[in-house]
Amino acid sequence: MSVAEYIRQPVVIRRYFQSILLVAAITLLGFPINNLIHPANLVMLYLAIVVFAAIFLGRGPSILASFLSVICFDFFFVKPTLSLSVDDTEYLITFTGFLTVGLIISTLTASVRSQVSAAQQREAQTSALYALSRDLTVALGIEQVAEEVVRHIHRTLNSEVALFVTEGATLKLQSATAGFSANETELAIAQKAIQSGPPSGKSSEIHTDSKFDYLPLNTTRGVVGILAVRFVDPDYSQIQARRQQMEGFANLAVLAIERARLSEQANQAQVLGATEKLQTALLNSISHDLRTPLVSIKGVLDCMVEYEQGGENAMHLDQSSRIDMIENAREEAARLNRLVENLLDMTRLESGSLKITFDECDIQDVIGSALAHLSDRLKENQVQVEIASEISLIPLDFVLMEQVMVNILDNAVKYSSPGKPIHIRVQQERDTTTVSIADRGIGIPPGDLERVFNKFYRVLRKDGTKGVGLGLSICKGIVEAHDGKIWAENRDGGGAIINLALSTHPREHGFEKQVLL
Amino acid sequence: MSNKDIIILVVDDERPIRRFLRASLQGYGYRVIEASNGEEAIQSATRDHPDVIILDLGLPDMDGAEVTRQLREWSQVPILILSVRDREEDKIAALDAGADDYLTKPFGVGELMARIRVTMRHAKTESEPPIFEDSDLKVDLSLRQVWARGKVIDLTPTEYDLLRLLVNNAGKVLTHRQILREIWGIVYENESHLLRVNISNLRRKIETDPTRPAHILTEPGVGYRLKFSD
Repeated sequence: MSVAEYIRQPVVIRRYFQSILLVAAITLLGFPINNLIHPANLVMLYLAIVVFAAIFLGRGPSILASFLSVICFDFFFVKPTLSLSVDDTEYLITFTGFLTVGLIISTLTASVRSQVSAAQQREAQTSALYALSRDLTVALGIEQVAEEVVRHIHRTLNSEVALFVTEGATLKLQSATAGFSANETELAIAQKAIQSGPPSGKSSEIHTDSKFDYLPLNTTRGVVGILAVRFVDPDYSQIQARRQQMEGFANLAVLAIERARLSEQANQAQVLGATEKLQTALLNSISHDLRTPLVSIKGVLDCMVEYEQGGENAMHLDQSSRIDMIENAREEAARLNRLVENLLDMTRLESGSLKITFDECDIQDVIGSALAHLSDRLKENQVQVEIASEISLIPLDFVLMEQVMVNILDNAVKYSSPGKPIHIRVQQERDTTTVSIADRGIGIPPGDLERVFNKFYRVLRKDGTKGVGLGLSICKGIVEAHDGKIWAENRDGGGAIINLALSTHPREHGFEKQVLL
Repeated sequence: MSNKDIIILVVDDERPIRRFLRASLQGYGYRVIEASNGEEAIQSATRDHPDVIILDLGLPDMDGAEVTRQLREWSQVPILILSVRDREEDKIAALDAGADDYLTKPFGVGELMARIRVTMRHAKTESEPPIFEDSDLKVDLSLRQVWARGKVIDLTPTEYDLLRLLVNNAGKVLTHRQILREIWGIVYENESHLLRVNISNLRRKIETDPTRPAHILTEPGVGYRLKFSD
């Protein structure tokens, strides 16, 4: 900025004017007291004015005051008065001394003044930075960080601000003040700023059409974002200070964005780790469950081949033990089939490819099909079915709801000892049908009544009976897809009850619903 | 006709399944020919005149329902569908296209033999004997009389029509749509609640325990079947 520009500022002109007024005032004051005091003491009054001007008006006005003081003193009070000529040459020493002292005072005071104002400015900067850093420490995630940065810069520097963050190779506008219009040009300039490095935009030669300054946010690992700033009132005296302050803000923003990024990555890693653990657990559990039935099936088949081939060392099997072995293999094959069906259901539920087709169904028919499906397995447990007389047809997907019943009944058998009865009860209350399946098994640990519906949850049994822990979670998925409810409770006198509540509210025939869990 | 004269065409793209079916069918004395896709199946059906076709729905070249449709254009050979669970729509499509019955994998050999016998019996005799009897259920079609557990049962006209349809197709699956069309007419073929209510009422009258029906069996997602042990 040139001197001419500096002087043209209104505040500067006013200060010079004030300094002239001060000198004039002292001169006027000098007339009445001129005859009472020695002229040398009058000089002291002028000097006081110079000091005053130096402190309050700055260096320039103070120097002006020094010169004016000498001229006025010479003109009005040194004989011959009203003339610049001097009779007593001793006054030349006074003038020289006055000017020298005046100039030194002006310079010194001005430098003190500028130091004070610089200190005040630094203090303001520091406290602004502190405020930002305080708010950034509690900001969670990149969105909040961006909001805080923009808000603080906007408030402290009275400017329009926008913050872009990098997403892979592209930039995304994360947060901005109202004055920033996110158009293609601004985004393109910001994009360029990433490559160029130094502040681009207004001060840069390439992008003269932009009103904004673009400040890349650099880290050791590359650019994490771009800060775009436009000052509302360009105060040129402040330009350096503002730039410094911007850099301070930018540094804080870099740190905060990087911290948010890293914590996001850490979270993802944690989730990934948990998923992997889950998959390992699933694999372990499934491979065990798949292998166990295969062991018996293969074993039985090997025996049969051995037996049929006969020979001298043929094994001796009577008919009843042969039938027993084959029966065992058959049951194991059925178990394997149930497991595979559940795995397929789970996959379909999770991938969202399960489609529910609602159809008016008789719940008694659904239960009957499930019982027929499990007839082999239910041989040793008596099943009592109690159905209220007036049960409405319920809109549901017959095949999926049958699977729900099969899974619940299968659990009831799994966790009961042979001979223990299973009780199924269907009740109707207004437009809700409730099915309760109660067993006399080992029950559910009270704290786990909700967790039994979680994937891979199993109630431990002393004899080590195992399952994958998918059955009830599939039930839950299917029932909730029907907008129904499923919950577990323990039964008085031992055992567990699984309840299903289904709405009989009619749906359009063949209404289909894509299930997403 | 003894089993030795009966030719069964097995259509499946999985060799182990064809091998298993061949072994078990030959074990019962049937003659077995094989095809591994729809194209071959149609050729073989034209050339070898099988008495029964066992058709897998998941063929590499064409849909089982499509094979059924093409066969039905000129042949009334009994077709037995093999399918997996969760593919109810495909089963129904094949049954509606003219297949006689279906089996869900994995199935037992006993079940397979029973289905083959039923489909062949229906193919042979056009008119059913007027009296149907299975355990405690007896239906005399000429007298329009029904007995269950030795007692005469009073049925509404719709219930009787429904039971007669099932008796005429005893042992064979009927899809919801087939029954609705037959009893109520083509306009009602989507009104499945009509069917559910009537089946439920019919069961209450003829079954000892309607929850565990011994006569009218539900084929989940597909239809109903009247149990018939021959």
